[in-house]
Amino acid sequence: MNSPILRALALLAVVLTPVFAPPAKGADAPIVIGATISETGPLTVDAGYQVKGMRLAIDEANKQGGWLGRKLELKLYDDKSDPGTAVRLYTRLITDDRVNLLVGPYSSGITQAVAPLINKYRFATIEPGASLPDIYVAGNKWNFQGTASSLQYLDELMPIAQQHGAKTVAVLGLKSAYSLACYKARLEQAPKLGMRVVYQTTYSLPQPDFGAIALAIKNAHPDVVVGCTYYPDAVGLTQALHDQGFAPQFLAETIGPVEAAFGKAVGKLANGIISNTSWWYNYKTPGTPAFIADYKAMFHEDPDYHAATGYSALTVLGAAVTAAKSLDQEKLREWLLHNQVQTLIGVFKVNADGLSTGFTQHMVQIQNGAIKLITPPDLAEAKLLVPYPGT
Amino acid sequence: MTTYERAGRARGRVRHGISLAALVTAVLVVIPLAGSAYTLQLATDILTSAALAYGWNLISGFTGYLSFGQVSFYGIGGYATALLVLHTPLPWYVAVAAGGLLAATAALVIGPIMLRLRGILFALGMFGLARILGVVFSDWGYAGGGNGMTLPAELTPIGVYIFAALVALAGFGLSAWVARSGFGLDAMGLREDEEAATALGVPTTRVKVIAFVASAVLPALAGGLVAWNRSYIDPPSMFDPTIDLQTVVFVLFGGIGTVWGPFLGTLVLMLVGEQFLVYFPNLELALFGLVVIVTVLALPGGLVSLSNRFGRLLRPVVLAPAELPDAAPPLPHTTAANMVPVLEVQDLTVRFGGLMALDSVSFVIDRGETISIIGANGAGKTTLFNTLTGFIPPTSGEIRFMGRSVSRVPTFRRAQLGMARSFQIPRVMAAMTVWENVVLAARHGRQGRRAVEHAAWVLRTVGLAPMWLDPVTRLPPGHRRLLEFARVLALDPELVLLDEVMAGMSREEQENVRAVIRRLPSLGVAAVACVEHVIAAIADLSDRMIVLDFGRKIADDVPSRVLTDPAVVRAYLGEPQ
Amino acid sequence: MLALQLLVDGVLLGGTYVLIAQSLNLIFGVMGVVNLAHGSFIVMAGLFTAWFTAMTAASPLLVLPIVLLVGFGVGAVLQPLLLERLVQHGRRAELLSLMVTFGLDYVLVELALQVFGSNYVSVPYLQSTFTVGGVTVSKALLVAGLFGAALAALLHMGLNRTPLGKALLAASQSATGAVSCGIDVGRMRLVAFALGVGLASAAGVLLVLVIPMAAESADSLTILAFVIIALGGLGNYVGVAVAALLLGIAQSVVGFYFGGDAENVLPFVLLIGFMAARPQRFRRAA
Repeated sequence: MNSPILRALALLAVVLTPVFAPPAKGADAPIVIGATISETGPLTVDAGYQVKGMRLAIDEANKQGGWLGRKLELKLYDDKSDPGTAVRLYTRLITDDRVNLLVGPYSSGITQAVAPLINKYRFATIEPGASLPDIYVAGNKWNFQGTASSLQYLDELMPIAQQHGAKTVAVLGLKSAYSLACYKARLEQAPKLGMRVVYQTTYSLPQPDFGAIALAIKNAHPDVVVGCTYYPDAVGLTQALHDQGFAPQFLAETIGPVEAAFGKAVGKLANGIISNTSWWYNYKTPGTPAFIADYKAMFHEDPDYHAATGYSALTVLGAAVTAAKSLDQEKLREWLLHNQVQTLIGVFKVNADGLSTGFTQHMVQIQNGAIKLITPPDLAEAKLLVPYPGT
Repeated sequence: MTTYERAGRARGRVRHGISLAALVTAVLVVIPLAGSAYTLQLATDILTSAALAYGWNLISGFTGYLSFGQVSFYGIGGYATALLVLHTPLPWYVAVAAGGLLAATAALVIGPIMLRLRGILFALGMFGLARILGVVFSDWGYAGGGNGMTLPAELTPIGVYIFAALVALAGFGLSAWVARSGFGLDAMGLREDEEAATALGVPTTRVKVIAFVASAVLPALAGGLVAWNRSYIDPPSMFDPTIDLQTVVFVLFGGIGTVWGPFLGTLVLMLVGEQFLVYFPNLELALFGLVVIVTVLALPGGLVSLSNRFGRLLRPVVLAPAELPDAAPPLPHTTAANMVPVLEVQDLTVRFGGLMALDSVSFVIDRGETISIIGANGAGKTTLFNTLTGFIPPTSGEIRFMGRSVSRVPTFRRAQLGMARSFQIPRVMAAMTVWENVVLAARHGRQGRRAVEHAAWVLRTVGLAPMWLDPVTRLPPGHRRLLEFARVLALDPELVLLDEVMAGMSREEQENVRAVIRRLPSLGVAAVACVEHVIAAIADLSDRMIVLDFGRKIADDVPSRVLTDPAVVRAYLGEPQ
Repeated sequence: MLALQLLVDGVLLGGTYVLIAQSLNLIFGVMGVVNLAHGSFIVMAGLFTAWFTAMTAASPLLVLPIVLLVGFGVGAVLQPLLLERLVQHGRRAELLSLMVTFGLDYVLVELALQVFGSNYVSVPYLQSTFTVGGVTVSKALLVAGLFGAALAALLHMGLNRTPLGKALLAASQSATGAVSCGIDVGRMRLVAFALGVGLASAAGVLLVLVIPMAAESADSLTILAFVIIALGGLGNYVGVAVAALLLGIAQSVVGFYFGGDAENVLPFVLLIGFMAARPQRFRRAA
């Protein structure tokens, strides 16, 4: 027997197996919602929250009979935080698993890789993990932003700082999709407010040591330090600024400080750090108290804004399906373009390119170990603590 | 157990090869027709990964220069394609091809610098290059910077699939050709022992750079295809070190340095990996790692070596005729300058820092002479040989070989011109057969045009004909010395430099070697020079003896006079107390 | 003042690098093993330390000797299991050891992910700073740098002054020569690897005091260690120590003037620059 032939036949068999998948589901079959999530790889922490929010939403919907009288089922794959894998898996969800609906993955980078695929296969998809505005441009018809744009991250900070007399700014940006957009937006914002950018730098992970950067910042003595960060760099930057003995009037970092582990990592240095969130537990959005209680009951931990975003994506999707009375993607798309949905994280509303025009970002600050909402004024839990103590 | 294929099976193999080709074509055609879009995507991914694997195998498997940075070219190809598609009216497949060309050019520039290093340093250097490129591209606004670029969506993935299949097949074809060609033999020799290969006339730098360039084109094409396929690229995904690591694992598992290895490894591990991804997502990394560990410990030659045990996928012996021909001896070269000395050394000086290894050494070797060079340990004998052959550059002085100056000529070129040396410890190439060792040298020597016949003649003359297809690992040590001789002769040299050939030999073995040395002039060798310690064995063969002491020549005369020279005796035995 | 601050920061940073590099120098130098799993040992130790000190509020410096011993034990188990069998392959052993440790790296990183999660952790120990002569010094960095340098110095002295150390050096310079002197080269390999892993683990304990660490940090630490060895000279303990310090200083200076990205790629730029300019430094003796 010719073993290369045997091998080729084996290959054929394995490769074509998905072709002989079970046939399309009947009318009583569950509605299958497909997504990938980063279960392994560096993005796991936040992705985990997003998925849990989604699971809670599905669980609650099923308790009330599902959508269109059918139960919901979540089909989830691990994209290993790798865009290529995500692309392949979304293709599999669409063409092999034949899911009815899709929800986007976590992180702007992976969403950006998957977005063209979504457009190609024409699935009206909410993207809870992509704050990057670049995805939602002319030509994009099927991706709908499910979270506030990264351009808004910490946008309220500098006007407030200016009112306190701040004049100079240092901006740092992690080289990832969303943080670079945030970085550029902050750089553009400063001069418009009459503030001067005295230091700026970008960096990638893993960053060996922030000491030199912190020293350079200290040298420029800015009033405001804004970091468009992820988690480890937020920790590193905070510690390095302290090590160099410099405390700006305002120290703000994105994403990192809101993680529970941040406080443990930097200890007292966290006190006074400003960050942003697209959802807070005292948001006066309907369903928030119930969401927090149910999430805690189901997962034995407090939800964060990623969980709320994941949850809200399904709220929007459910609203569209119910209103359009259909799973037809074209109908869903039409509906999503022209309607608003009230969610945990605010009002879902998009422009013609799918860019969110309804969601907003607000400021929080760590005060004595607790995270307090600072803006908007009518929801604020505490006054802004100024200056950043740094000790 | 042999891993080589007897040459006579070639005809059967061709038929086998054609039916295999038909089968592969059939499979490639069926996949898009019968499979889903996911299957097509998976197949495309497997094909692009196979292309990457073949590219890596060329530089790291065949040539032995392990690279951890081939993703540099992958990224260059991807970005070139994207930029061309976005800013020029070129169709995507032309853009992809252009990306390949660009990468080849880059490799031509980078190669000579990087390839000066060996081992882990080369790997590190390439890794660093990929890292640097990632940063450069993430800063380059025109190419989208950290945000990357979106390309127009590819609506017919079949195009990508076909191109990917062609690239993978090209990789396979190229590897198959390399494995059978003289170039591939040069690469193998270089991989086994770069210095010995140089001494046999292999133009090592040229071979390395060509292999490097070829190994850059394949990943670049793969990168371009992926960029077009995904319609989106950014620096982290285009310069992702995981791609390199994955490629390495695939090739290793399949069988590094083989023709089928890259494809088999990629196919099996990607399919297996995909299933794990679906059913055991959290364990994939660990299982991958275990696969690697088990493969290395239990089956270092990969799947191909497993196949070899069943007599399949054997490596063909390169350039081997079906039978060893009964060849004629080489025609003597009609040198116009028959009176020119074979070797003229003038005031040769080699200084290492403060140490004078050779101090103004001068001598001449005429046609027909057999010279022996003796001296106490550390006198500079091996340094002299190394300088003559070009392994060490002289500090000053002149070397003229057959009337032309070779002081600036690289080692391999000196070998090609007819200056052949043997090494103290035989440096035969273990992963090759006896035949291949000899024909490697024959190709680069003065009988290059009839290398096969000449190699056959050498083997018969030296007495190694019966074991011409044996792997070197099966040769007893005495035969290895003979093989060294055979390689030297295969160059059809004018001057043979023998470095302590009598070392560690019994009387009998010495007699054999002496017999060969005596025959050398009748085999077309113009002159012989031997460095020796066993003076008794060489004295009666030598026309003249040269004695070195602390880098200086202290005697140059017929053996009877040299051996009774008080200065020489003093040099060996020291001052009388 | 600025210059002095940069210098001090750089030296301390270099001090944390020294141990990382020397532990690999020992393994690569004596065994010729390209230990791609080096960073994963560092990271495991660091993650363990963070978890342990969080649970027990103990000082991480108390954990150091424990981790060192455990690391030594782990290395002593892994070496005969995975690496000793490769020695028989002669020249191919380097490639094969690279592959085995590559696989090991995957396994260990996955293990770290499963046990400790993918979070970044750090140990807020000695977070204060003190100022002397206008230079601000972070206590954590000082402790980490000094301890790292001390352990590396101990290694150096041990190698050069004790019989065992000299045997290790002999084995790394010439296995054949060492055997003919009656040195059990196989045991030397075992000791070298065990010691290397132990010291790498110690480096992890110190490093987590200074920078946040996660399972994914492993690979960049491995690469960093190799680059430092390449710059300092394989098997050259003084050279590697100097290279580590100089790299720390260079990164400090470059980071200050040119920002984060430049600091990040500096090791590779230096490596490639050195290689292009003076390739003969990097040739292993034939």
